[in-house]
Amino acid sequence: MMQSQSQSQGPVAAGGLFDHYPAAALPGTFDEMFDGITPRTPFARVAQLLAKMTPDELSRAQALAETALLQQGVTFSVYGDARGTEKIFPFCLLPRLIAASDFARLERGLQQRLRALGAFLDDIYGEQKILTAGVIPAEMILGAAGYRPMLRGLRPPGGVRIHISGVDLIRDHDGTWRVLEDNLRTPSGVSYVVENRLISKRLFPRVFDAARVHRVDHYPTRLAEALRSVSPVEEANAVVLTPGPYNSAYFEHSFLARTMGLELVQAPDLVVDGDKVYCRTTRGPRRVDVIYRRTDESFLDPEVFRPDSVLGIPGLMRAYAAGNVALANAPGNGVADDKAVYPFVPKMIEFYLGEQPLLEQVHTYVCLFDEDRRYVLEHLGELVVKAVDEAGGYGMLMGPQSTEAEREEFRRKIIAEPRRYIAQHRIELSACPTWIAERGTIEPRRVDLRPYILTSREGPWVLPGGLTRVALARGSYVVNSSQGGGSKDTWVMKETTGG
Amino acid sequence: MISRVADHCFWFGRYVERAESTARMLAASVSLALDAELPAAQVWRPMLVVSGEEDEFRTRITGGDDDAGAWGDGEIVQRFMVWDEANGVSLARSVTGMRWNARSIREVLSLESWEAVNELHLWMRSDAAPAIYAQHRDAFYQHVRRATQLTLGLVRSTMLHDEPLDFMWLGVLLERVSQTARMLDVHHHAFTNLPRRHEVVETALWLSMLRALSGSEAFLKRAAGRVSSEGVARFLLSESAFPRSIAYCVHSAYDRLCNIRPPDHHTLPGGISLERLRVLDVWVRARENDPLTGTAVHDVLTHVVDEVHEICGTLGKELLAGG
Repeated sequence: MMQSQSQSQGPVAAGGLFDHYPAAALPGTFDEMFDGITPRTPFARVAQLLAKMTPDELSRAQALAETALLQQGVTFSVYGDARGTEKIFPFCLLPRLIAASDFARLERGLQQRLRALGAFLDDIYGEQKILTAGVIPAEMILGAAGYRPMLRGLRPPGGVRIHISGVDLIRDHDGTWRVLEDNLRTPSGVSYVVENRLISKRLFPRVFDAARVHRVDHYPTRLAEALRSVSPVEEANAVVLTPGPYNSAYFEHSFLARTMGLELVQAPDLVVDGDKVYCRTTRGPRRVDVIYRRTDESFLDPEVFRPDSVLGIPGLMRAYAAGNVALANAPGNGVADDKAVYPFVPKMIEFYLGEQPLLEQVHTYVCLFDEDRRYVLEHLGELVVKAVDEAGGYGMLMGPQSTEAEREEFRRKIIAEPRRYIAQHRIELSACPTWIAERGTIEPRRVDLRPYILTSREGPWVLPGGLTRVALARGSYVVNSSQGGGSKDTWVMKETTGG
Repeated sequence: MISRVADHCFWFGRYVERAESTARMLAASVSLALDAELPAAQVWRPMLVVSGEEDEFRTRITGGDDDAGAWGDGEIVQRFMVWDEANGVSLARSVTGMRWNARSIREVLSLESWEAVNELHLWMRSDAAPAIYAQHRDAFYQHVRRATQLTLGLVRSTMLHDEPLDFMWLGVLLERVSQTARMLDVHHHAFTNLPRRHEVVETALWLSMLRALSGSEAFLKRAAGRVSSEGVARFLLSESAFPRSIAYCVHSAYDRLCNIRPPDHHTLPGGISLERLRVLDVWVRARENDPLTGTAVHDVLTHVVDEVHEICGTLGKELLAGG
């Protein structure tokens, strides 16, 4: 296909590579890069530079990017494949841009949210004032799968519980940013943020230079500082704990250990003696003070959580309770990122901080409440229903696309276990120009954003970037990597300095 | 360092060395078969004996028949030694093993070393590798050798010279001792029992074996061009300046283990392995002037192979994850 090589000047239309793009825009959807045929003002320069590229150049660049990712082993393991097949996370080389002013607002909103969520966890595992005050119904919290009563009264070393978080954000039909969910246990994906950046800098050096983008490669340094800040001792020995090479996120575990210069350990490498944690080394046992654990907490300590687990470290929780080892993230955080607790976060912000929430979220019907449940059951065909304890896009009813039988099934489930279900109206996720390799064209595809927030003793810090996940299939809303999603590099632009 | 990580480092080194060695020996056999004027089985069967997979080949490939044509069929032997996933020492398995161990210690390896390993692994699984194997056998072996040599070079030039590297190199050296010892043993036995001893044929065979150990040029320099079975055996046993001789490898392995577990640190684990390796080192060096007549070569090599096997076992218990 011939693309016109128009050398369009000025801010009107980017043309060139984007010639056929606006026509493909999704109705009722906010396009992040273009307003009609005009690139949005902060992105005009980048759009013009990208427009000058040809489909051939983009094809070559895309192939280069994929080869580089494969050769560096930036892959995830495919579960259930005996040959240990590894795949690259599909990567779209066209970056997703975020204006400086937008990100500044997000940053303040995320810091506020993390302060409130941290206060909430301290309270729930302490006095439970928010329940006494009746701000959140007690059964909502005490019945959450992630609530760990045995942790009550336990103060984590350094006072931090949510050292690492990833908060999923979306933009609705008019471009408003909204929180979709919080990930406060073991959020993954940050390694792709750093690796994607390395690749886009190699592929688009001139565009990148002109765009003036915040760096993301200092994330591991900031993470190491956050981990050291909560150590019970001065000279901390911190380690990264992985379930092992068969875990789908193993690349990321080893990436983080390597870029922080820490040792990557597995549960059998650790042993607890006298409520202290040691690592088995070739020179005998060595003390461990901080563990960045990427294992699920159910598998941390068979003495406390799952006695059938062979993965755990017996006695770890005793060492933790004695204040001899810091765990990041703290066990018990699941009660705060429960999908049924999410609707109450704005109230938490008011209750603990006395502030108005800076970030919008998505209106949520809590099926436990009679009035909400009645509405949900009457409007199943319009709503997205989610099981509160499932992730990765599973356990969902997409109302508008559902069959009568599926709706019936969910109706029965909701009536049987109302606590397990919430519902939301479907949000028209915003779209970004995305390279469609099979057709050699650029088309709009829906995206979300997972920024990463690190909390040290000094408070929360937001990485100026994040993981943009993109639903690569035409018309799809599902961005999860397990269901055909890909990723994009996320360029958070610097404030313009008048030049 | 973490014992499990040390274990992966050690086995990473062994697999890299084994892959390189297998590719080198197969390439040398291909070349030998062209003009050795030997029965084909005498070219290929020793490969299987050296690899320790003679029994596996007999039961699975020849159906238990010691006179089967497969013993002398270079294509069948090579397919078995290169691609056979059920053969524990095939090239395919060694590359998988090297990559699996490397991936388990991805954070220990330098980026450059990891990419070299991963590229070889991806290449072996791509369509390119079987295509080159079919069209240009020598280039195939050359590719594997270059990639493994590059890996060993990169770990030395881009990683910290501390414990992980010591464990890797310990693995390389102990694997190499066994390879050299078995290679020399099998060929020494075969060549000195040729029905009609013929000086030209014998010289060609010894030089081919030396090439299989990357040692023909080094040997000729030391021997001033004189090729004899005793000269070759003495060179491979005792030449302290040749990095694939048994004396060199055992002594270097001892040095590496001294870095890992210094001899005067009596409370640290690893003492039994260290002492056993020290004794072997002294013993090998004491053989330097022994006459190499009768079964002497075989006896020395048997002792070396058995001791190395035992030392690897003790290392596993004392220092690696087996402890």
